[in-house]
Amino acid sequence: MLQLPCPYCGPRDELEFSCGGEAHISRPLAHNKISDADFGEYLFLRDNPKGVFLERWRHASGCRRWFNVVRDTVSHDILEVYAMGRKPRSSAGKNAYNNSWRRTSAAEAAAVNK
Amino acid sequence: MAQAHPDISALEAQAGRLPDQMPHPDGGSGGIVFTDLSTCGKLNLRCASDVSSQIIRFLGASLPDKANSVTTSGERRIIWLGPDEYLVLVKTGEEDSLSSIISSALSSQHHAATIVTDALACLQLDGPAVRDVLAKGCALDLHDTKFTAGMCAQTLLASASITLLCEGDSSFRIICRTSFLDYVMAWLKDAACEYGYYVTPQSNI
Ligand SMILES: [Zn+2]
Repeated sequence: MLQLPCPYCGPRDELEFSCGGEAHISRPLAHNKISDADFGEYLFLRDNPKGVFLERWRHASGCRRWFNVVRDTVSHDILEVYAMGRKPRSSAGKNAYNNSWRRTSAAEAAAVNK
Repeated sequence: MAQAHPDISALEAQAGRLPDQMPHPDGGSGGIVFTDLSTCGKLNLRCASDVSSQIIRFLGASLPDKANSVTTSGERRIIWLGPDEYLVLVKTGEEDSLSSIISSALSSQHHAATIVTDALACLQLDGPAVRDVLAKGCALDLHDTKFTAGMCAQTLLASASITLLCEGDSSFRIICRTSFLDYVMAWLKDAACEYGYYVTPQSNI
């Protein structure tokens, strides 16, 4: 079983958390020009890497707050924990964030006012 | 007629059969006393932590500024539930007036004061065996140098979501959903058998 460091409550058993899946998926604005295929990728496509992964977790049976985790899916090492709305600061986390295909996806480009 | 699953009916029968008083197996005084404080008033407060100075005179104590901690004023407890969420325990019947006082004091702020008296149950646990009993179903470090008076935690006890308050070396409170109280109480009695226990009749704080 994992032990996750809740940014508020400190280390707790995995049993107390629920995993919210991949982090940093931006929702396209309501008015956008992206194709159905691009919207489908935003809606359905999720990464499942062997190695460093950026995930959202919620301390469901504790303070019920969401936070982000940089986790190695091979070693189960928790490399970094950071707040919602922030970006990773560890080098492993930065690499995973910058190298994700989502950074150049049509959906992410359509998620901000330009 | 449909039959209950044999394991479930056996568990229910066992839990139901456990009496309100169990002497220590070796004689002597019991290891733990359970007191149901569920009728105490309970108020869920959502607000920014920096409004503490505005409502401290109504609450009698400041909002806890550390995560997982409790501030106390007489019988009142203000329990940290999140960075903008608190649970206030008050005497039975005080929650109505306190909720309207807080709401008018914070009327210009984004806040919510919700009475949750009937949604939550509150159980007091006292006695030398209290940490050992809780440790059977809770993964927190409950050593008396680690989980001390004034600390609280929202966690799992035997899979049930609870808020645990440390009131002293051998004194705790459990707050859980009212619908979980029967289960939590049955589990606690079962866990406390080897130490001996006593359930006091329902009382008000
Ligand atoms: Zn937490």
